[in-house]
Amino acid sequence: MALFSAFQTTFLLALLSLKTYQSEVLSEPLSLAPESLEVSIDSARQCLHLKWSVHNLAYHQELKMVFQIEISRIKTSNVIWVENYSTTVKRNQVLRWSWESKLPLECAKHSVRMRGAVDDAQVPELRFWSNWTSWEEVDVQSSLGHDPLFVFPKDKLVEEGSNVTICYVSRSHQNNISCYLEGVRMHGEQLDPNVCVFHLKNVPFIRETGTNIYCKADQGDVIKGIVLFVSIFEEPKDFSCETRDLKTLNCTWAPGSDAGLLTQLSQSYTLFESFSGKKTLCKYKSWCNWQVSPDSQEMYNFTLTAENYLRKRSVHLLFNLTHRVHPMAPFNVFVKNVSATNATMTWKVHSIGNYSTLLCQIELYGEGKVIQKQNVSVKVNGKHLMKKLEPSTEYAAQVRCANANHFWKWSEWTRRNFTTAEAAPSEAPDVWRNVKSVQGHCVVTLFWKPLSKLQANGKILFYNVVLENLDRPSTLKLLSIPAPANGTELTLDRCSYQIHVTANNSVGTSPASVIAVSGDPGNKEVEEERVKGTEDGFCLSWKPQPGDVTGYVVEWCERPGDPLCDLQWKNLGPNTTSTVVSSDAFRPGVRYNFRIYGISTERIPYLLEKKTGYSQELVPSDNPQVLMSNLTSYSFTLSWKDYAAESQPGFVQGYSLYLKSKAARCLPGSEKAVLSDDSICCKYKIDNPKQKTFVVENLQPASFYEFFLTPYTSVGEGPQGAFTKVTTPDEYSHILIRIILPMIFSILLIMILCYLKSQWMKEKCYPDIPDPYKSSVLSLIKSKENPRLTIMNVKDCIPDAIEVINKQEGTRKSLTETEPTKPTYLYLLPTEKSHSGPGPCICFENFTYNQAASDSVSCGHVPVTPKAQPSQLGLLTSSENVPKALGKNYVNSLGEIPAGETNLNYVSQLASPMCGDKSSLPTNPPEPALCSEYKTQMAIPMGLASPPSITLLDEGEHDH
Amino acid sequence: MDLRAGDSWGMLACLCAVLWHLPAVPALNRTGDPGPGPSIQKTYDLTRYLEHQLRSLAGTYLNYLGPPFNEPDFNPPRLGAETLPRATVNLDVWRSLNDKLRLTQNYEAYSHLLCYLRGLDRQAATAELRRSLAHFCTSLQGLLGSIAGVMAALGYPLPQPLPGAEPTRAPGPAHGDFLQKMDDFWLLKELQTWLWRSAKDFNRLKKKTQPPPAAVTLHLEAHGF
Repeated sequence: MALFSAFQTTFLLALLSLKTYQSEVLSEPLSLAPESLEVSIDSARQCLHLKWSVHNLAYHQELKMVFQIEISRIKTSNVIWVENYSTTVKRNQVLRWSWESKLPLECAKHSVRMRGAVDDAQVPELRFWSNWTSWEEVDVQSSLGHDPLFVFPKDKLVEEGSNVTICYVSRSHQNNISCYLEGVRMHGEQLDPNVCVFHLKNVPFIRETGTNIYCKADQGDVIKGIVLFVSIFEEPKDFSCETRDLKTLNCTWAPGSDAGLLTQLSQSYTLFESFSGKKTLCKYKSWCNWQVSPDSQEMYNFTLTAENYLRKRSVHLLFNLTHRVHPMAPFNVFVKNVSATNATMTWKVHSIGNYSTLLCQIELYGEGKVIQKQNVSVKVNGKHLMKKLEPSTEYAAQVRCANANHFWKWSEWTRRNFTTAEAAPSEAPDVWRNVKSVQGHCVVTLFWKPLSKLQANGKILFYNVVLENLDRPSTLKLLSIPAPANGTELTLDRCSYQIHVTANNSVGTSPASVIAVSGDPGNKEVEEERVKGTEDGFCLSWKPQPGDVTGYVVEWCERPGDPLCDLQWKNLGPNTTSTVVSSDAFRPGVRYNFRIYGISTERIPYLLEKKTGYSQELVPSDNPQVLMSNLTSYSFTLSWKDYAAESQPGFVQGYSLYLKSKAARCLPGSEKAVLSDDSICCKYKIDNPKQKTFVVENLQPASFYEFFLTPYTSVGEGPQGAFTKVTTPDEYSHILIRIILPMIFSILLIMILCYLKSQWMKEKCYPDIPDPYKSSVLSLIKSKENPRLTIMNVKDCIPDAIEVINKQEGTRKSLTETEPTKPTYLYLLPTEKSHSGPGPCICFENFTYNQAASDSVSCGHVPVTPKAQPSQLGLLTSSENVPKALGKNYVNSLGEIPAGETNLNYVSQLASPMCGDKSSLPTNPPEPALCSEYKTQMAIPMGLASPPSITLLDEGEHDH
Repeated sequence: MDLRAGDSWGMLACLCAVLWHLPAVPALNRTGDPGPGPSIQKTYDLTRYLEHQLRSLAGTYLNYLGPPFNEPDFNPPRLGAETLPRATVNLDVWRSLNDKLRLTQNYEAYSHLLCYLRGLDRQAATAELRRSLAHFCTSLQGLLGSIAGVMAALGYPLPQPLPGAEPTRAPGPAHGDFLQKMDDFWLLKELQTWLWRSAKDFNRLKKKTQPPPAAVTLHLEAHGF
C-alpha cells in the first residue's frame, strides 16, 4: 500500500513538473533571448568581443539558436553591420562572438545590440526572434586621456596590398589638423568635427622600419604618428609529394618569401587531404610526412596552407599514389663470376605492388667513364651479364630502378667495384740497347718500356732475358729480372748475340722481343746535322736505306746533361723515313741529340744519322771572356778563344761587338746601335760563329773606347754586360821610345867621351886661338868671291905693342865680369899726344869674324873702354906708318882689286893687342854714350882716309 | 741636377750628424709632465671628429627611419624624450658654470647618451648601419675616456653613477613605434648639440689651461761641416 502511495506521489510530481514546463514555454515564448550582453574591445586587433548567455533554457537542454547582431557607429541609427550567428546553446552557456572593425575602434563610438531565435527542428514553434537587447555602447575615445591629438590604429601590422583605415581624434575644435603619409599630405573624410578618417588602399611595402603616418596641428607643438608595418607573405612554391615504400608520402615545398618586417612572424604549415578529410600540422617549414591509409586509397588531393599572424596562403596538389613512386635503391647487389673478360651482376629491389614492374638501369664504369649502359626489367631479383671486359682491370658497376609503368623518379644508384682476372701479356716489350766496349768486352745495357695496362693484362712479375750466342747456336743463357726493372746490363764477349726479352705475369708470358748485338760495334763516323725543334717536338727525317731494313729506331736522351741521360727511343716501321719526336721533358734552351738507327734483318741496329737541335732556342746565357791584345794607336785585337759556344741554350750564329767612342760617326764595317740604356754606340757584326778573334781598326790615337762582345742566336743576343775600357796610345809614343831613347843614350855616350877627351876636344873644337882658316867664314868669303874681304894672317901683323896678360889657366871671364884684367901695354910704335877728355872712341871689330855685321847699325856688343883708347889711338895716330907697316901685304891685296877701284886706299885695321884673345874683350864695361862705333870696313879715298881719324883721336887722351 | 758620389756622401754625413744630435734637440727631448693641455686638445679633436662622424651616421639612420624624420625642416616637439640629457642651456647659466661642472655635465651626458645609442645599435636592421653605430659607440666611448682623463688631469673626481639609474632605451611596442622613432631622432639631435657644446667647452678650457706660448727653438749643431 505504501509502495503504491509513493509511486502515485512521484507520478503527480512529474506531471506537475511537465505541466509547469509546458506552461512556461507556451506562456513565455520570448524568454529565450540573449542576456547579459557584454562588449569588450581589443584595440590592437581592432576587434569587438561580444559575450552573452541564454538563461531560460532547461537543464541539459541544447537548442540550436541564431543570434542577430547589429553594430552601429557614431549613432545607433547608423547600423554598419548586421550578422546572424548560429550556434548550439546550452543553459547558461557563455556565448562569444567577435567582430573586426575596418575602422579603428578609437575613431568612433560603436553600439551593439542583438536578438536571438531558436533554430532547432525539434522546437519549430519557437522559431521567432526575441526582443533586441538594449544597445551596448563602446566608446573608447572617452578613455583615451587628455592628449590633444591621437592617431589610430597604433602600429598596425598589415599585409602588402591590403586596405587600411586610419583616423585621428583631435581634442580641439579650433586646430586644423593635417596628416601625412611618408611626408605626403593625406586627405580624409571628416567623420565628426574631431575625427577624420583616411582610407589607404593597396598599401605597399616601403621599408623594414615601417611606413610613417603622422598628423600635426597647425598651431602648437602637437604631433602624433603611427607606424604601419607592411609584410610580404608569399605562398609556398614547388609543392610536391612522393612515396618510396607506398606507406608514407613525403611532401616537400619551398617556403615563399616572408619578409618586410624587422622581426619575422612565426609561420605554420598545414597539410590537408580532401578525400580522407585528414589534416596534419607540419613540424618543418619545407617538408611534411603523410601516412598512406591502408585502405588502398589511390587518389590524393592535398592542400598545403601556410599561415602567419596576418593571413594564409594555400597550394593544391592532386595525384595518383602509384604515379608518385620513387623506388628505394636496389639492395643485395653483387658482382659474381668475374673472369678476365666477363662478370655477372645481381641485385634485389623493393616491391612497389604486386603487379608492378621496375625498370633498372645498369652502368659499367671503367677508368671513370661509362663504357656500358643497359636497361633491365625486374620484378624482384635482377641479373645482368657484363661482357667484353679487359683482363686485370678495375671496373665499377652501378644499378638504379624506377617504376616501369608510371615513371616518376629513378632510385639512387647502388654501386659495386670489381677487378677482372689476369691474362698473359699480349704484347712483347719494347726493347732497346746501348752497347759500350769496355776492356775488350762488350757491355750491353738493355732497356725496355713497361707494358701498358692493356698489354700487360695483369701485374708483370718479372722479365726473362735469353741470350743466344749466334756463333755457338747451342748456347743459351737465361736471365730472369724481377719487375719493375726496366733494364739490365750485360757483359758479353765479342761474339754476336741475339737477345730475347719477354714479360711475365702470374698467368703467362708475353711474345718475345728480339734484338741482336754484333761483334762489330759498327760505330761509323756520321756527320751531325742540325734540326730545328718546334712546340710540337722535333721533326726528324732520314734517307731511306737501300736493302732490307726491318725498321728504324730514333734514340735520344731526355736529360742530356745528366749522366743517367734518361735514354728514350722510338720504334718505327721500315717504310718510315720521318717522325716527330715530342716529349713533355723537352725544355727550352737544352740541346738534344738524336741518333737514327736502321734495324737489319738480323735485328742488328746500325747508326744512320745524327741530329741535334733545340726544342726552343734561347738567347746566349753568358758572354765570352774577351782578351785584348795588339793595342796600337789605330787598332786593337780581341779574342775569346775559350768561349764554349756549344754549351749555350741555342746555336750561336755569330757575335756582336759594341764599340762606344766619342766620335759621332761609326767606323766602316759597323753601324749605329741603341743599347737598352738608350746609349748609342757602334755595332760590329761577326757572322761567323767560329771566328774567335776580331781586329778593331781605324781608331783614333789617344782616344777612349769602350767595347762589349756578346754572342747571338736566332732568338737574340746574350745578356747585356759591362763594357771594357780601352784608350789608344799616342801616335808618337812609339817613336819616342824607339828613337829618343837611343838618342839620349848616344848623347850621353858622346858626353862621356867628350869629358874623357876634353883636352883633345878643346884643342880641336874650341882652341884658345882659333884658326881663321878653319872658320866657316872663309868658305863663305870664297863663295861670294868678295875680293875686298880677306883674312888677316897673324904673321902679317907687325906688333906695335905687347900686352902682357896675366891670365890664369882654366879661368874664363864672362862678359859680365866687372873686374877687368888690367893689361899692360908695351908700346912698340911712337905715340902722339893723347887725346884727353871724353870724346868719341873708335871700336874695332875684326871683320874677319863678322862679315855680316857690315850692314849692321849697332855695335854695342863690342864696346871699347876709354882705357883702351890710348893704345888703340896710339896705333892709329901715324897714318903715314900704316902703309909702311902694311904696305907689302896691301900691295899684294891690291893686285886683286878690280881695275875700277884701284884709286882707293885701304885703311888697315891693325891687329889689336887683344887679337885672338876673346877673353880680354868683355873686360871693358859698356859705355855706349861715349863711343862712336867704327863698324864697317870700307874703301875710302886716299885723301880722306886719315883726317877723320886724326880729328877724332886726341893725343892727350892717351896720357892715361 | 747632377749628383756626384761626393755629394751623396756629404748628404749622408749630414744626415748622420743630424740624427746624432737629435737627442740633444730640446723640443724632442721633453720628459716632464706635459699637463692637461695635450689631453684637452686631444679631447677637443675627438669631439670635432665625432661631430663629423655623427653627421654621416645621422643621415643614414634618419633615412632608415623614413620621412618625416629625414626631412631637413622636421622639428618635432620633444615628446617622450624627456629622459635624454638636454644639451641646450641658457647662455648665462652656461657661462656661470665652472670647469668642473662643465666637465661633469659632459661626462654624465655622454654616459647616458652612450647607453641609449647602444640600444639603437641593437635594434638596427641592416648590418651596415649596425657597423656604423658600433663604430660611433666605440668613438663615443673613447670620448668619455678622454673626458675622464682631462678631469683626472685637472684633479676633478669622476661623477659616480647612481645605482639603478642606468638609462635604457624604452622597448618599442608599448611605447609606440612612432614615439620610439621620435626618441631616436631626438637622441641623434641631442648628440649633435652636445658635441657642438662640448667642442666649445673644450676649446674654452684649452684656452684657459694653455700656458703662454713658449718659443721652441730647434737648435741643430752641425760640427764638422
